[in-house]
This record gives sequence, C-alpha cells and structure tokens, in this order.
Amino acid sequence: MTYNVVVLIAKQFFKKAFFNKGLFVLLTLFILALTYVTINGWQAFEAHDHSTDSHQDEQRESWESNPDKHPHRMAHFGSFVFRQQHPLSIFDSGIENYTGNTIFLEAHKQNTANFSEASLSTGLVRFGDLNIALLLQLILPLIIFFIGYGAITSEKENGTLKVMYLQGTTMKQIILGKSLGLFFVTALFFIPALIALWSIMFVEVHTLNAEVFLRSVLISISYILFFLILCSITVIISAKSKNSNKALLSLLGAWLLFFIIIPKTAQVIGNYLYPNKSKIEFTATIEDEVIKQGDSHNPDDVHFKKLRDSVLKAHNVKNVNDLPFNYSGFLMSKGEETSAKIYANEHNILINTYKKQNSITNGLVMFNPYLAIKNVSMGLSGTDFHTYTNFLTQTENFRYKQSQFMNELQMKFISNSAKGSEGKVHVIKKEYWQSFPKFQYEYLTISQTLKHHFIGIIGLVAWLLLMLFIITNFSNRFKII
Amino acid sequence: MYSLLIKQFFLSKTVWLAFGILMFLGVLSISTGKQFLEHQTKAVQKTITHQKKHLETQKKYHKDDIAYLTYYLKFAFINPVDALSGISIGQSDLNSHIQSVNIVALEGQKHNTDLINPMRLQVGNLDMSFLIIFLFPLIIIALNFNILSEEEETGTWKMITIQAQSAFKYLVTKLFIRFVFVFIALNLLFILAKLVMEIPFSTNFWSIVIMSYLYLIFWFALCFFVILLRKSSSTNAIVLLASWLLLVVFIPVLVSNYISNKYPVEEAFSMVIKQRDAYHEKWDTDKKETLKRFYKRYPHLETYGYPTEGFTWLWYYGMQQLGDDDSQPEREAMYNKIKKREAASKKIARFFPPLQLQLSMNEIAKTSLTNHIEFLNATTKFHEDIRLDLYPKIFEERHPSTVDFDKYKPEFFKPKTHFSLLKNIVPLVLISSFLIGFALFKNLKTFK
Repeated sequence: MTYNVVVLIAKQFFKKAFFNKGLFVLLTLFILALTYVTINGWQAFEAHDHSTDSHQDEQRESWESNPDKHPHRMAHFGSFVFRQQHPLSIFDSGIENYTGNTIFLEAHKQNTANFSEASLSTGLVRFGDLNIALLLQLILPLIIFFIGYGAITSEKENGTLKVMYLQGTTMKQIILGKSLGLFFVTALFFIPALIALWSIMFVEVHTLNAEVFLRSVLISISYILFFLILCSITVIISAKSKNSNKALLSLLGAWLLFFIIIPKTAQVIGNYLYPNKSKIEFTATIEDEVIKQGDSHNPDDVHFKKLRDSVLKAHNVKNVNDLPFNYSGFLMSKGEETSAKIYANEHNILINTYKKQNSITNGLVMFNPYLAIKNVSMGLSGTDFHTYTNFLTQTENFRYKQSQFMNELQMKFISNSAKGSEGKVHVIKKEYWQSFPKFQYEYLTISQTLKHHFIGIIGLVAWLLLMLFIITNFSNRFKII
Repeated sequence: MYSLLIKQFFLSKTVWLAFGILMFLGVLSISTGKQFLEHQTKAVQKTITHQKKHLETQKKYHKDDIAYLTYYLKFAFINPVDALSGISIGQSDLNSHIQSVNIVALEGQKHNTDLINPMRLQVGNLDMSFLIIFLFPLIIIALNFNILSEEEETGTWKMITIQAQSAFKYLVTKLFIRFVFVFIALNLLFILAKLVMEIPFSTNFWSIVIMSYLYLIFWFALCFFVILLRKSSSTNAIVLLASWLLLVVFIPVLVSNYISNKYPVEEAFSMVIKQRDAYHEKWDTDKKETLKRFYKRYPHLETYGYPTEGFTWLWYYGMQQLGDDDSQPEREAMYNKIKKREAASKKIARFFPPLQLQLSMNEIAKTSLTNHIEFLNATTKFHEDIRLDLYPKIFEERHPSTVDFDKYKPEFFKPKTHFSLLKNIVPLVLISSFLIGFALFKNLKTFK
C-alpha cells in the first residue's frame, strides 16, 4: 500500500514535469552540451595519447640508436617519460591540466615534471575544465534544484497538499514519492552522461578494458548516490520552505556555498595553514643535506674519503686504479644512493605537506557531498592527486634504476685508467643499454584508489542514509499549510 | 523619497547577507593575495642568500679548477612580482618566477616548474579577481532581479505609476541605491587591498579599478535589461542566473577548452627530445664541425682554435650550445602555438566581459602567459650574457682567484605591460550601452 502510493506520487511528478516546456529545452541543451563535450574529450584524448605514444617511442628509438659509448654518457643521455592519461580522463579530467606532462630522467639529478597544459595556456584555463564530470557535478545539481524547488511548495500554494493529506497520504510518502519522481527526471539527464562514460571502454588504449569497466561501474554507482542525495535534499528543502521563491533561494544559496565557496575556501585555508617550501628552499635543503651526508662531487669530501679508504683496505690495494672495478663508477653509484635517499626524503616531506593542504578539503568530505563525489570521481577516473604522486614515484624509481644500471656497467667494463667519457676508447656495446627495459607506467589499482577515497564513498552513503532518516522520522513535523 | 527607499533597501535581509558574504570573502581573498606576495618575496630573499652561500661552497670545492667551478655554479634570474599580482594571481602561481640556471644548455633547464600543490591549482585561487568576476555579479543579480517585478506582484507598482512624478525615475533611483551600495563594497575592498598589499596608486592600479567598475556596470546593465522585459520575479531570477552560469561558468570553460584543443602544443615534447639528442650526438660526431658551428654563432671566440685531441671545455660548451641551437625550430613552433593561443583568447574574450576582465587583470598585474614567455626570453639573454662572460675565463683556464665571482648576484627581470586601457574599455562600454539602450527603447512608451 505504502509502496504503491509512493510510486504513484513519483509517476505523477514525472509526468507533471513534462507539462513544462522549459524542461524539454533544458534537456535538449544538456544533451547537446554532453555530446559536444564527449566527442571533443574523446578526440582530445586520442590526440594526446597518440602524441604521448609517438614521442615516447621517438625518444626510446634515439636512446637505442646511440653508438657504442661510455656508459656514463648514457646516464646523462637519460630518458624522457611522457605521461599517459587514463582513458577515463575523458569523463573527469581532475587535476590533469595542472600536472606536468613530461619529465627528463638522468643521472645525479631529479628534474621536475614540466609542460603541464595549464602552464602553456592563457589565464582562461583557470575558469575550469570542460568534461562530463563538470556537467554532472556543477550544472546538473542546479538543474535538479530548478526542476524540484517547487515539488512541495507548489502543492502548498495550490492547496492540493491539504487534499492529499486528508485522503490519507502521509507527508513521508509524499516526500519519498516526490524525491523519487525528481530522481526519475534527473535520470533523463544523467543516463546519457553515464552512457558517454561507458562508451569510454571502447577507446583503444593500453589499459585493460576490464579495469575501465570496473571503474565505470563504481563511478556510476557513486553518481547515482549523489543524485539521490540531491533529489531528496531538494524536496526536503521545498517541504520546509514557506513558498516556492524561498525554496529556490535557499537551494541556490546552498549551491553557491557547497559547490563554490566551501571548496575554494577549504583549499585556501589548507594552503595557509601548511605552506610548502618554494623550489629554491627545496633545492637548498637538498644541497645542504648532500654536503652534510657526503658529496661525491666534492674531491675533499670526508665521507667519500673514508669510503675510499675502506674500499682500498677491503681489496688490499693502495691505489684506486688497482681496484678490480672502475672506481669512479663505484663512487657515482654510492653518490647516487645517498642523494636519491635525501631527495626521496625531501620529496616525501613535500608530498606530505601537499596532503596536509588537502586535508581540510578531505576532512569536509563527510559534510559536503559535492566534495565527496568530486574526490571519488577524480580518483576512479585516474586523474587525482594520488595517481599523480604515484606517477612521480614511478619515474624516480626508473631514474634511479637507469642511473645505477649505467654505473654498474661502468664499474664492470670501464678500466680505471679511463680519464673521462670522451672519445671512442672506453666504450661499451650499445646492446647493453638497448637491453635496459622501457619505462612502463602502472596506474594505481582500483583497490588502492578506493583506499584513498573510502571516506568519500562513506560520505555519500551517510548522506543518503541521513536523508532517508530525516524523511522517515521528521517529515510529519513539516507544515502542510 | 530617497531616504525611504534607502531605509527600505537596508531593511532587507538579503542586503546584509550579501554585504556579509562580500566582506568575509573579500578579506579572505585579500589575505590570499597577501600570502601569495609574501611567499614570493620570501622565495626571492631566499634566492639571494642562497646564491651567495652556494657560490662560497662551490668556490671552496673547486679552489683551483675554474672549469668545474663554473660547471656547477647556478645563477638566479628573478621575475619580481608586482604588488598587483596579489589582486589577480593569474598564471603566476604555476609558472616559476625564479630561474636558477647553469651555463650548460639552457633549454633543458628553463622550463622547470615551481613546486605547487596541483590540487590547489585545480581548485583555483580565491583572489580579488575571482571575487569580482564570479561573486559580485551574483550579488548584483540577487539585489536587482525583482526590483520592478516585486512591486508589480505585490500591487504597489500601480500606486507608484499614479503617485510618483515619474515611475521611471523611481525605478532608476531604486537601481541607483543598489549601484551605490555595490560600489561602496567594492571600493572598501580595493582600499583594504591597497593598504594590506601596499599597492601604490599607479596607472596600473587605476586601470584595474576602472576595468572592474565597467564590468560591474555591465552586470547592472544586464539586470536593467532583464528587469525591463517585465516578466515575473522567478522568470527574472532564472534568466539572470542562467546568464551568469553561461557567462561566468560555461562559456569560459568552453572557450578555454576550444583553444587548447585547437592549438595543442605538442611541439613542447618534440623540442625537449630534439634538444637532448642534438647535444648528445655531438659526442660522437666530428669535433671540428662542432667548433666551426660554435664559432659561427660567436665569431669572437674563434681565437681559441680547433683542438680536437681529447676532452676540452671549449668543445663541451660548443656541444651544449648546439643542443640549444638545433632545437630552435621546434622551440619557435612551440612559441608560435602559444602566441596563437593568446591571440585566440583575446579575440574571443572581447565578446564576453568575464573573460575580458580576467585577461585584462592578468595583463595589468603582469601575471599573464605573455609575461611569463617574455621572462623566459629574457632568461635566454641573461644566460647568454653570463656564458659569454665566463667562456674566455674557462677556455684560458684562469685561476678562480683571479676572477671576481662575487659580482654574480641574482638579477631582476624588468617586466613590461602591454595593456591598453582604451582598447579594453571599448567592448565593455559597447555591450553595456547596447543593453541599456535596448531596454530603454523597448520601454519608451511606458515611461514618459
């Protein structure tokens, strides 16, 4: 019985929504925008992916085609990594525009990831990024508010709410029914968007389709939760408001507060409370630390002098030239070891500061469903903060391996009589570096991503439960007249 | 009548709420700007002290070897931040404003980025330009959308048309009160910003103020236009909010997306590969050829001759230089794309006030992409000057003690502004006058 009434009200709301011609216009515009954004996003992704791939291959080819040479020359020749985008970035580009797209990996030196899209763009880029998620996260909520603000107030204003009540319908049933009806109308908007999301599975790229599939399922569920929350909020606010105008104003105010002001303010406060080191301070700290712990580039360094003495002793020789391996290769490998550790340490501190800056926003996830869906959506689309820092870790690991590979080759094959890396004298065959594996980028697994954004999902579920709780327990207190 | 209208205006809760929000976010935005300026100033100071320390350390390490000393030395070049950048941070938070470069090939160094949290970049800055572009229009809409329709809906409009000398004057007065209120709020914020960020009363400051005024006038004109369409309050609200959403949220994002897809800057990728390869291949090619090309670039160095036996620093820096030179075409292609992006942005922005204001403010505050590119170009010049100064000392193997290294202090870039107030005023004034003119024309009969 209860169930039937709820469904009846939902159906009636759905039908009534179409009495308004504005809805058709809105729906048409939304679908048009969605189509444009999807096709455009798809093309941009393929262009970017193609460019990344071809440049990645180009740089590897030139790595492999180096003639026989001293391994240290190759350590400096280095590799480039051009960052691949996750195909789901078509759906939600997250921080994609602001993260470096190429990084040069060479010996002794950790370079920054450069040429982010935003760094090559004019100030317009700061207005935001166009993608399907923008339509779902910012625009569709406004549309829901516009369609639903009068859900209850209009019944009040027409006097029909009294009639319904007298006929035995409870306020709980009305609110549930209207929310459901509003959700059905919303479905007309978000289902095409989710179809666009699912279509991404057919993009031909490196990632496994099964993985994209699972991510899409999770994204879809999260958005459905998000819209269920928004629809019930809209109807509850409509029920609590005296008239339609007030309901609309409250909803718009809430949109401005929750979708624009709180997210910005939270990030500003986070940065204010936990400022991070500037580039110059960062490099200065590393430089100081290297001097303290041992600088292999300093001929008089105490640490490396000690090291030399102990190596000489262990091999029972007087001069480094009599060692069974190339001493400068050994020295560089030790130097790389210390400096990489120092860098990793400083880098971790930096990333942790960033995390602290983000912590204000992340802490608000439970209180702001928009922040929850934003984080979850970015994470699952492989375009969030964690995905990027993970990329940086992977490139640094690769850089370290590459440098040490060359140092080992030098220790093994280069004579101690070599004075430098110049010329065709002290060289090794190019097959050695050709055998060095290519950089393989691995995305964070779904379970890792879920771990980072678990609280966001909990936030969405909690909000939905809260809404249901309010509807079931408090709706009878709402005024009918 | 004035005093009553003003009283009525201040009795509304919306007004106080609007004022509260503006002041709260205004203070927040000014402190954001202040924090940004302080962060940058601190970095500049740190750079100056660090360079001194760095120089001392390296001089100690390489007491007798000028070649190694100069190889490790880093030289800083600084793009000083204008106090106005606290009002419009623009692109200056993501483009590094301090370069610290070695005398080896420059192209691998000068595009290095600063350290900033990408999440912060994505969320965007809450600076005053955001407040003016984003929030002030909403406040203007909230204050004005029903000034006529409300009177019509409550039935008071008829009384006014009968009793007031001129209904039109009455309406304009109402609008004018709101106009004064909004401008007082804006001016308060500008004064606060001026004091907190220590901005001088320069032409640039006034240009930002004038542009902001014109922008807000545009929104008043739009409200005026919609009000005089004589629709209901809720229709007005929806029309105005939809225009806001379109003008401030959707169109900017669309335009920015269109530009980045139309002009993808893949050349950046080709450039870095080319630069690396062009330098490294010289290790395996004819030394004489390398030196010849190096001398062609710098004829006055030819006195150092053509040593081809073993490793020489002359040859080394020749190779480095050729790496930069050979990647020149790719680099030019990249800058051309960037120029196209800028031109397209400006062209489209003329039709949309929020875009135009943002670009103008960045340009005035010298936080635009153009400014950064000019800084990069100046860095090339800076790098070349230092190289040419040091080359002879290295090639002649002078003893480090004979060279005055202390003169290498961080240098400052002198940014120029290309902002033309007149050119930027015209589109805004035209759009606003069109809106007001059309609204008046349509209502000629109603208001006499």
